[in-house]
Amino acid sequence: MSIITTCLTNAVKKSRIKKVCLVSDFLYQREIVDSLEFDTFHVTRGRPIAFGTGLKLANPELKVIALIGDLITLGGNHFMHAGRRNMDIVVICVNNFIYPKIAGNTTPTTKVPFSQYAPFERPINVPHMAKSSGAVYVARWTTLHNSELTESITQALQKSGFSVIEVMAPGGSYFAGIPSLKNESELLKFYYENSVIKNGEDTRNVEIIPDNKIIVGKFFEQERPTFLDSYNAQLSRVMGDKFKPYV
Amino acid sequence: MRANPKDVFTGAYYIDGDVSSAYGAAAAGCKFIGGYPITPSTEAFEAFVRRAHQVGAISIQMEDELGSIASVIGASWAGKKAMTITSGPGFSLMMENIGLGAMLETPFVVLNIQRGGPSTGLPTLTGQADMMQSRWGSHGDYEIITIAPDSPQEMFDYTVKAFNLSEKYRCPVMIMSDECVGHMTEKVVIPSADKIEVEPRRFYKGDKDKYIPFPVDNLVPPMVKAGDGYKLHLTGLAHDEKGYPLLTQNSKVKTQNANTRRLVDKIRLNVDKIIELKEDGIDDAEIIVVSYGITSRVAIRGIEMARAKGIKVGSLRLVTVWPFPEKKITELANKVKAFVVPEINYGQIVFEVERCAYGKANIVLVPHGGGSVHNPDDIFHAIEYAAKERKNVDGIIEQKTNLYSLIFEKEYKLHG
Amino acid sequence: MPNSPELWVINLNRMFEIKFAGYGGQGLIRSGVIVGKAASIYDNKFSTMNQSFGPEARGGACSSQLLVSETKVLYPYVTKLDILVAMSREAYEKFEPELKDTGMLIYDSDLVKLKKMRPKIKLYPIPATRFAEELGNRIIANVVMLGFFTAITKVVSKQAMEKAIPDSVPERFKDLNLKAFNKGFQHEKQIPKIPKFQNS
Repeated sequence: MSIITTCLTNAVKKSRIKKVCLVSDFLYQREIVDSLEFDTFHVTRGRPIAFGTGLKLANPELKVIALIGDLITLGGNHFMHAGRRNMDIVVICVNNFIYPKIAGNTTPTTKVPFSQYAPFERPINVPHMAKSSGAVYVARWTTLHNSELTESITQALQKSGFSVIEVMAPGGSYFAGIPSLKNESELLKFYYENSVIKNGEDTRNVEIIPDNKIIVGKFFEQERPTFLDSYNAQLSRVMGDKFKPYV
Repeated sequence: MRANPKDVFTGAYYIDGDVSSAYGAAAAGCKFIGGYPITPSTEAFEAFVRRAHQVGAISIQMEDELGSIASVIGASWAGKKAMTITSGPGFSLMMENIGLGAMLETPFVVLNIQRGGPSTGLPTLTGQADMMQSRWGSHGDYEIITIAPDSPQEMFDYTVKAFNLSEKYRCPVMIMSDECVGHMTEKVVIPSADKIEVEPRRFYKGDKDKYIPFPVDNLVPPMVKAGDGYKLHLTGLAHDEKGYPLLTQNSKVKTQNANTRRLVDKIRLNVDKIIELKEDGIDDAEIIVVSYGITSRVAIRGIEMARAKGIKVGSLRLVTVWPFPEKKITELANKVKAFVVPEINYGQIVFEVERCAYGKANIVLVPHGGGSVHNPDDIFHAIEYAAKERKNVDGIIEQKTNLYSLIFEKEYKLHG
Repeated sequence: MPNSPELWVINLNRMFEIKFAGYGGQGLIRSGVIVGKAASIYDNKFSTMNQSFGPEARGGACSSQLLVSETKVLYPYVTKLDILVAMSREAYEKFEPELKDTGMLIYDSDLVKLKKMRPKIKLYPIPATRFAEELGNRIIANVVMLGFFTAITKVVSKQAMEKAIPDSVPERFKDLNLKAFNKGFQHEKQIPKIPKFQNS
């Protein structure tokens, strides 16, 4: 967690964006909050993207980062629709396969062989879902890909539109599924070593499959008008000069 | 402060309650609506969307009501007055974040054009069965303000008032209208901007480092805008005055107490300022009809019928239903024989009346399942029935029947 | 005030309870809005309009109910109709029982086939849809009807209606609508001798 925060802070500094709001649906430690130079919101689970939509639309100057845990359960719909409208939000999806705070219950991103009592449902391929929802920037890194992750977040911040970065982060109670691992940092390393960078890979192929390498990299980038661009364009077209663009 | 002339569509209109409410929101300075269409509230959303660009506002049709309300809270923290519009099923979905709104002490307005329930219920016929939900819908302790308008003109006036109250007390305010009022078309006069009182958002102006979001000595402190460099931290967890959650067991208990107490006290200590009632002929009344929303207009017919028969009936209309006017009801209970409570549900506000009457007056519920308004005859019969009851010597009525048997007595005997 | 049973003006604060009924798409709700607007905004009376709305209103019998009164409308619903404007047979059959014994029925004579009526109900036929077609567009049948309605009932003044109609229709149809209104209004003179009622 602290690694991601560090990358985030560095990225925000690097991108030189002033008005940043971080919305998440999980608890921050007080120390982390104190170390951040921008506003932080901890809202109801699954709703950071919707909350961020409100922030962004009410004040388009803001740059909103939505930091979400294993998403697609609560709030999966917000994810899809924010992508569809190309809402100007950077989504950092922290994928640790489980809900660490509540004793390691399984999530829709849980992988079969990583769990003792293996769920049999097929997990979600987050980058592919992001791309098909209409995201303008899709990437995946593990937490040990420090510089790449920071670079990715910076790029996403500088881009306007719905950007999704999936971060493979270890869940504290999770390495139990892989007998050779003793602690969390070994899991970090396990992910790192078992990943392979394939920039520009088709998101259809990046599903996380047991025993295969985790494919990381910057998968996809495109330009699309954001929600506000389309809104202003549409109303200007219909109403002509009478309409003052909303900015 | 007066309303901004740009926001006020001054003039006389012949519009329905929904549209009127949207114009009220605009006049109050609402700049953001996140909504999801659901009859019978869609007209209000549409009306605002059509006018949004004129007042420099923005509206978005979110993917669902969960998203709508979350975006409204976000928008409110970004410094804009915000509102969402919905009806029963959507209102249920919003409950989670109404709790968040209360916890973060966020001002916003929810317009609920009630329809029959439960579940999908009655699209699109009337109901008043969300009254308790508006008060207790989200989990945990918090206080809320609920307003029940009864005509399109009031939809305008009280939407403005709802925004004012929410800014003043920094809490969610519900406008619990119903399909009848929402779809009723009447003349609505929108006065000029200098006649509309608007409570502006209060912003913190002091030193950035010294900003404390929830100071102990101020129940309704000024807010800041997100992104203005105050290093704001807000959490839906129980938090201390700086907005930080506390993680040790002891501090949790302590903060929780202080935290919830804030949410409750800011309303409870100001009930006299918040509550608005409309009384008619209650000074010498023996029976009082307690009603709210559309039912108060229907009750008028029943009251007229009873008065024509020589029964002394007064009317007490709850304009603000929550916080509940406990003092007033208790005071009246000592004077009158009975309260008659018509509502389009099977008993919600009637229990509050019963609670506050402390057994000193009889309570007669005139229930209605929803779909239409009461037949005024029913209300008249209930008044007649209540008038027959006598207080015994001690001044305490004998509890002949409980509320439910009264319902059935009404339905099966009074008509016979 | 009325002193003859022939006079149909109502006591209850001189309130008129009116229903416009027909099938969906005939502009009945619009009719209610126009009359209500004319009465409340241009005639300075009070009026409340309610619409039947919901799945059953689409295509089938559709209606709007209107109260027009000299004083504030307290109870906002119609109980017994003073005036029923029927623009389809189905609507006529459905709502005829709601009419007062001394009520007034205005109907499209081409579309509504009357049954045996209660004796004191006044009947005012007009081939509104045919007139509208003659004017070029059957969609304005309701406006023809409104002209006739205004001439006969005098619930609202002609001047008020002439102001309210242009407010409620698109710019390019204003003239057509006013023509239709006048067509209906003039038709009052052509209806055969029936008891003349007045609005005191």
